[in-house]
Amino acid sequence: MGKEECKTMLDALNKVTACYRHLVIALGSTSDSQNLREELKRTRKKAQELAVANRTKLTSLLKDKSISKEDRAEYERLWVLFSSSMELLEVDMKRSLEIGQDFPLKVPTRHLIQTGMTGSTSTVAARAMSVQNMKYEADSNIDTADLKDLQSEITQVSQMMEEMEMKVQVAPWAVVAKQEAGAELKSNLSVGNSSVGVISICEEEPKDDEGEGSRGGGSGSVGAVIGFLLIVAVALVLGYLVINMS
Amino acid sequence: MTINTMAKGGWQREQMICFRKVGLCNHVLCLFTQIIAAPTPKEHPARCETNSKEERESGTCDVALFSDYLLISLLLTFHLHSFVCFLNNCVFHKQMEKMIVAMQDPDMGMKLRNQRLLITVIPHAMTGHDVIMWLIHKYSVCEEEALHLGGMLVKYGYIYPLKEPRSLVLQPDESPYRFQTPYFWTSSRWPASELDYAIYLAKKNIRKQGELMEYEKERYSLLHKKINHTWDFVVMQAREQLRASKQRRKADRIVLECQEQAYWLINRPPPGVQNMLDVGLERQNNFNLRGTLNSDFYKNEIDVCRRALGRNRVKSSICLEGFLKYSEQYQNHDPIMQGCLPSNPWISDDTAHWTMNTEMVPVPTRLRVERWSFSFMELLNDAMGRREFMLYLEKEFSAENLCFWQACEEIRHGESSKIVEKVEEVYKNFLAPGAARWVNIDSKTMDKTLEGIKQPHRFVLDDAQMHIYFLMKKDSYPRYLKSDLYKNMLAKAIVPQETKKSVFPFMRRQRHSSPSPAQAVAQATEEDGRNKGAG
Repeated sequence: MGKEECKTMLDALNKVTACYRHLVIALGSTSDSQNLREELKRTRKKAQELAVANRTKLTSLLKDKSISKEDRAEYERLWVLFSSSMELLEVDMKRSLEIGQDFPLKVPTRHLIQTGMTGSTSTVAARAMSVQNMKYEADSNIDTADLKDLQSEITQVSQMMEEMEMKVQVAPWAVVAKQEAGAELKSNLSVGNSSVGVISICEEEPKDDEGEGSRGGGSGSVGAVIGFLLIVAVALVLGYLVINMS
Repeated sequence: MTINTMAKGGWQREQMICFRKVGLCNHVLCLFTQIIAAPTPKEHPARCETNSKEERESGTCDVALFSDYLLISLLLTFHLHSFVCFLNNCVFHKQMEKMIVAMQDPDMGMKLRNQRLLITVIPHAMTGHDVIMWLIHKYSVCEEEALHLGGMLVKYGYIYPLKEPRSLVLQPDESPYRFQTPYFWTSSRWPASELDYAIYLAKKNIRKQGELMEYEKERYSLLHKKINHTWDFVVMQAREQLRASKQRRKADRIVLECQEQAYWLINRPPPGVQNMLDVGLERQNNFNLRGTLNSDFYKNEIDVCRRALGRNRVKSSICLEGFLKYSEQYQNHDPIMQGCLPSNPWISDDTAHWTMNTEMVPVPTRLRVERWSFSFMELLNDAMGRREFMLYLEKEFSAENLCFWQACEEIRHGESSKIVEKVEEVYKNFLAPGAARWVNIDSKTMDKTLEGIKQPHRFVLDDAQMHIYFLMKKDSYPRYLKSDLYKNMLAKAIVPQETKKSVFPFMRRQRHSSPSPAQAVAQATEEDGRNKGAG
């Protein structure tokens, strides 16, 4: 069915957008490298392919006049998802151009910012490209050569978005989201606290205070119980001795 | 060169420091933009009485050659430097970014250490003390200034604290800091969008299992209402971003979270914290969005700068002398400084002062008549003065001058639709050869005016009006002041009596508002008198 296909494609686009943003955040920092630039390039191209595929699919679905109202509402919702994704992608592409220009890799006087991130981003890119391992095969001047491609791709994306707005008559504000507030908490995927855990140094103070408070209360009551038991034990021993003595 | 660097809309202290430290071309840039931005004195032809024309002509000839060279070189430095500042990005952000990049130098840069958390070790941490020492060393500034500079770096998010993330100050001790990644640098080109903030809050919600802070919860529900149409996307994207970050190793994940948190603490500060990105009235306008920097653009710029250089400027010493003379002359005429006679209507509710000074009274006050002798403009601005002057001119048979001047004023300030007919009338009455009240204008001005009348507009009679104005001012006005007519007027003018204070103290009518600057002046003069008497 058209809807299911659309949804899977949108999910894929969503995933690639998230990974692309993650990679752009690492630009200019110490996790930046040849590999990162190549990953950015490939992720970007994949994102564009997905975008074009999504757009054709969705426009054809929306142009169809013979669909029911619920279907149309659903497609409009998917359309809004698609255009938000494209917005993020466009902004990230422009930013990666700016940062890429500011931080060329081969210039010795231009240092990368030491942000504390030193690991590689290849797993993120692998996730974006849906492969097991990334293979790197780019030239050594990818950081400058890629920028021209990037510029033309940005113009392509902007044009595509303009066309989208002009041609497709969807009022974004009229769309009602399916998820209510706090829906993300109901996820059954374990993206919970496992990422940070106890070592959260950069957490806010109130949470630390709360934790400390409850811990303090608990230890107080445990101490009281232990004290009580101790007294009872001592009393029993003394009683036994008294009885034995007499 | 009269440059006021502390002028309103001029340079903030931080900009001053940054400019001082980053080379000569910036200093020149600073001066140069001051030249362009200096306010011009209003040059209203009939009212301005400075020798603007003479000054302008003598000044510009020899400056022209040198100024072209200067202009071109300055323009190039200006534009090379500000090319990146084009799209509304504040200059000092670029300065701070440069500073941050300089700190990364492996030899001369910041000394970094490792941050040890329980199990993980994260590199690239520095203490506040290190930051200050580096700034002192690199820019040869004193500690106070280094503290200020470092504080700004933290305030604008280029460095974030690790121990107390909400306290965006630079502690000059062992508290750890880290650099922010370029993606999260504060930039007005990429303002943080609501969608991004919503995604961040959703991610935090997931990570903390719903334990957001109060203000975050409020903002979350607000955003849910505001961008409800993309809420599905927000949830999807938040989940995907978390999954993506799980692919990295633990140390990097921690750094990522700290970075993001620091970014949002600056771009969406908690309530009660000042918003660093709010520049208020000094926000630059986006008028000249990216234009192509071709030769036409530069030619335009050179023209603008050349005209700016040629503008008439008065030295502040002369300006201030003039101002001082004006203040002395008008001291006695100022109701706040000297008090009003008979009494201040705002305090005593007695409107005698106003009724005595209306436009047309049978007998004017003495102060008013005295003011007519201060300048010709004072006389002309006062309706009674103009009437008296007209009477005098009629005696001298040169009343047509004043009539002509008044007619020109009416054209300048009157309705647009009536301009054509008014100009016709003026021509008929005053300018046509053989007219009833022909005014004496020199032939050059007369030719120019007659030419201009063919296409009448509001200011077509300006030159003629100015000529007549100066004629009256130089010729008739001094004679008027010496004439009997004026002296009689002065003698006839009344000096209103100060209203007597009544017997009861709380019914006293005050001359001065309280506390009145006049009383301060009076006290000062009393003290002077006493000192002089004693000494």
